[in-house]
Amino acid sequence: MDPGLGVDEITPIALLMDELRSEDVQLRLNAIRRVSTIALALGPDRARDELIPFLQDSVDDEDEILLALADELGKSFEEYIGGKEWAHVLLGPLENLSAVEETLVRDKAAESITKIAAVLTSQQVEQHYIPLLNRLSHGEWFTSRTSSAALYAPVYSKVSPAIQEELRKGFAALGSDDTPMVRRAAAKWLGAFAKNLSKQHVLSDGLTIYRRLQADDQDSVRLLTVEDLVVIAQQLSPAEVKEQLLKQIRQSVSDKSWRVRYMAANHFNALSEAVGVQLVREELVNHYVQLLKDNEAEVRTAAAGQIPGFSKLLEPEVVIARIVPFVRDLCQDSSQHVRAALANQITGLAPLLGHGPTIEHLLQLFLHLLKDEFPEVRLNIISKLEQVNEVIGIQLLADNLLPAIVELAEDKSWRVRQAIIEYIPLLATQLGRTFFDEQLANLCMSWLGDTVYSIREAATINLKKLTEVFGVEWARTQIVPKVVNMGSHPNYLYRMTTVQAIGTIAPSLNIEIVSDEIIDALLHLATDPIPNIRFNVAKSLEVVATTYGKTPEGKELAQQKVVPVLEELKTDQDADVRYFAALASQRTLATTVQG
Amino acid sequence: MPSDLDSQIEQLIQCNPISEEQVKRLCIKAREILIEESNVQVVDAPVTICGDIHGQFFDLMELFKIGGTCPETNYIFIGAALPSPTCLVPMNDPGDFVDRGFYSVETFLLLLALKVRYPDRITLIRGNHESRQITQVYGFYDECQRKYGSSNVWRWCCEVFDYLALGAIVDGRVFCVHGGLSPALQAIDQIRTIDRKQEVPHDGAMCDLLWSDPDDITGWGLSPRGAGFLFGADITKTFAHHNAIDLIARAHQLAMEGYKLMFDQTIVTVWSAPNYCYRCGNVASILELDEHLVQEYKVFQHAPSDVRSVPLKRPPADYFL
Ligand SMILES: [Mn+2]
Repeated sequence: MDPGLGVDEITPIALLMDELRSEDVQLRLNAIRRVSTIALALGPDRARDELIPFLQDSVDDEDEILLALADELGKSFEEYIGGKEWAHVLLGPLENLSAVEETLVRDKAAESITKIAAVLTSQQVEQHYIPLLNRLSHGEWFTSRTSSAALYAPVYSKVSPAIQEELRKGFAALGSDDTPMVRRAAAKWLGAFAKNLSKQHVLSDGLTIYRRLQADDQDSVRLLTVEDLVVIAQQLSPAEVKEQLLKQIRQSVSDKSWRVRYMAANHFNALSEAVGVQLVREELVNHYVQLLKDNEAEVRTAAAGQIPGFSKLLEPEVVIARIVPFVRDLCQDSSQHVRAALANQITGLAPLLGHGPTIEHLLQLFLHLLKDEFPEVRLNIISKLEQVNEVIGIQLLADNLLPAIVELAEDKSWRVRQAIIEYIPLLATQLGRTFFDEQLANLCMSWLGDTVYSIREAATINLKKLTEVFGVEWARTQIVPKVVNMGSHPNYLYRMTTVQAIGTIAPSLNIEIVSDEIIDALLHLATDPIPNIRFNVAKSLEVVATTYGKTPEGKELAQQKVVPVLEELKTDQDADVRYFAALASQRTLATTVQG
Repeated sequence: MPSDLDSQIEQLIQCNPISEEQVKRLCIKAREILIEESNVQVVDAPVTICGDIHGQFFDLMELFKIGGTCPETNYIFIGAALPSPTCLVPMNDPGDFVDRGFYSVETFLLLLALKVRYPDRITLIRGNHESRQITQVYGFYDECQRKYGSSNVWRWCCEVFDYLALGAIVDGRVFCVHGGLSPALQAIDQIRTIDRKQEVPHDGAMCDLLWSDPDDITGWGLSPRGAGFLFGADITKTFAHHNAIDLIARAHQLAMEGYKLMFDQTIVTVWSAPNYCYRCGNVASILELDEHLVQEYKVFQHAPSDVRSVPLKRPPADYFL
């Protein structure tokens, strides 16, 4: 509670009413947002007797205000009006909000009513909630009937069998309402409602409602029944599914409206898992193939997203015979979104097919997608290559894909370049030093001069990881000279990269290399004309000193070379240089003194 | 102070607003720093120049990924961290507007916190949006109300706006200003005599600097915006010649390719809000000036959807309704 709000000094209800009547929407909104504070100040009795009736009458306002009110009443508001035994009182204003025109407000009101339903006793439900549900369900205007569909599931298990029967009838009536919006709401909430039904009632009532909606003449209703189908199938045995739902499954996956087919494609794995492996193999696989070659790109995109999940339910030979040919077609799809979705999923087939078939059937497809003209396609396939690597081994992957990877290292999209860089240490581990030096070493150095800061940063981290793979002696000859050389480049961005690369790599080297090959270059840059270089020199000197300062050689290096330069930088004309130098100096001293 | 501020910057980089009390102290501190700055702030190269951001917080993060983090890279932001009139046109799907959201509070406060933490590394220039009137009408006021429950944060930010510099000059050769030139001003030195610590006036030199646009005309023209002027190649070249500058870098207008050079490269529009309002389909850019004032435009696209905290994809059921 806001401690500044004294009950004695003001009359909160009057204040709220004043603010709620204000011309300024913002003031009215603020008042609603503070309504729990006001209820607290009033105490439970007055909150119940004065505030709630007042709120119940204030539904004639801007949608934004009503939305806020619907929201506030669902935030355990019963605590302010005397506890759970009074929670049903909140249903009054929320019932009014459930009937307004704006969908967002009605949805929020239904959400809050659902929250309240959870704390009501069976008696409260039967006495207060069920009558409300009846009024909304029979409302003259479609808005309240639409809202009512969401409100059946939350209380079904709390009421007597006789009332349960009424609820099933009530819901069925919504499913055959004259207004499409109401039927749409019924289709949207049927799954949640059906979850509460006993098996017997699923078969008697649930199926009837579902079948009616599934055959609706509006596709906006039909598309919502795909999720209901999944829920109902989950509650039935495979034999019952085959007997009761096969016709509807066939209709949904081949619906004349692409939006329904899209929903079917998008939920295909969930549906397949619900109906069981046998029906998948004898029936669904045919439908799935149809969706993969659907006329609409949106449908093919959704179907492509389900490839490995669906293929998991099939024998590998069936995947090769039935799925892979269409995957091959999708690689050439005219829509980039289809190809991007495919690239994201296709590598998931490798573990299912195993070593030989992956090489025989998939490798060429990966290569093809790596060369796709659309960057997202390339990025998707690169970021999943490790999955392939585990199946066929790096050597084969490298032999086949390396040329494409080298090409992508210079890709126009920096995120593609970044994905390649992140893949390099793994490639290096498996390819070995000789192969790496010949094929990839130059590439790794060229990224240090990339135009994008994040790539230059990733390039320095990559060098550190490579040092860990190939060892410090390799780093001494292959990396260090090039990094140090860049420190005298006329463009400050290169010099900055040198300074930052040293800070990143130094901990993975050793004190000899640092003393012999690196430190002088770094100290030289402490007099660079650009202050940004100088304070980064201070940061990198700190890394060197704190990494090695505990050994005798390191302490000597720190005291003789690092500390004097940091002292100099502490009197620099630039404030940031002074700040970072002081910080580095302090930490250097702490390390060397302790050590 | 630095460590306290460092943790606030950390928090803002995660797109989490800092507390009201922290905003208050940040704004007081910012005014102390900005009051010392000149109307035309003198900046050394190398520096990276950025145009309008318009509360597209995640695209600002993308910008830092391309250009480097502050303080490693020096920055000039030529105004308009805040949402603009066009952004208020509702989208096809009203849900989009709410979901994708504008993070003007986080965007402006992050830039301000960086300014206070590293005053020599980042320069903030006032744009026409950084005014009481514009922010009250076009979203920033509402966003402050929504996130803090009062108008205090908005008020403190507005007080900071009054202290922002009106322009910057890099190594004496590149003049940065949000809008453009004014018929009342022939020399950059004249700008230094303006008393800038006020709400943006409806006319006059200060108004023009924040509102004007270059156009393919001769001389001066009336601006369709109702404030500032249109100015042509002759005006631009004369101004550049008289003031011995190579380039005027300004923002204020959408450039589909991220930047637009005009009048024999004497003026450039830099635009740093990719896919403006999440639907214009434009790319963005920043202008890197190296220590020798060599210009390099870095073009970038909007942040991929998975880096935003709020998922862009809405449930298919709603999508179809
Ligand atoms: Mn502007």
